[in-house]
Amino acid sequence: MGCTVLFFGATADATEKRQIDLDLEAGSTVGQVLENVRHSHSGLNEHKLLVALNEEYVSLDTPVQNGDTLAVFTAVSGG
Amino acid sequence: MDFYELSTEVIDFASVSRRFVPAVCGATVTLDGYARKFTKEKDGTVRETEYLVYEAYEPMALKEMAKLIERAKTEFEISAVGIIHRLGRLEIGESSVIISVAAPHRKAAFAACEWLITELKRTVPIWKKEIYAGGESWVEGEAPARPNSLPE
Repeated sequence: MGCTVLFFGATADATEKRQIDLDLEAGSTVGQVLENVRHSHSGLNEHKLLVALNEEYVSLDTPVQNGDTLAVFTAVSGG
Repeated sequence: MDFYELSTEVIDFASVSRRFVPAVCGATVTLDGYARKFTKEKDGTVRETEYLVYEAYEPMALKEMAKLIERAKTEFEISAVGIIHRLGRLEIGESSVIISVAAPHRKAAFAACEWLITELKRTVPIWKKEIYAGGESWVEGEAPARPNSLPE
């Protein structure tokens, strides 16, 4: 199974990417995907990260389904 | 009557504030947040910004803005809310966010407007980059108390 990971702002700069596609083991959680992404993009380790799953804030133990979209970003700074 | 939008165009404050003037209301409180040139740091030095760039996770930002309006209308005695957030490059003094709250009485409108901007800055996935002489950096907000998921 697989998912898409999106980056914005500081995380897009740190990874030099806007989007990656990942192959996952069945049963992977949001937290496991985040660790996977941190491992392959060490620039992210300088940041505290938030993750959204399919455009919703979720807890790290939420399971990821095939075709899901995760967004990895830093604490927001709009306004 | 509520509205929430993201815009790459200069926002006209008056057109937002007066877009709806409900007959049951007697006051609209409108926040006009705009790009600041001089920011005093904690150590007393002053940082001088040349311009700002805002970026959003647009579909999620719109969903979160809708949720904020729904919650505000549950928690405060208000009738209508409009939020417009600017994206892209902003020159100094241009509006970055406008929040209008119409209510029968002003007190609820003031309270709801303050609550809305506080929550927007905490939950809506929009990021600001400050560009100064000789550098630029993405501003990172305050990380939530719990890792990853935002508290209710």
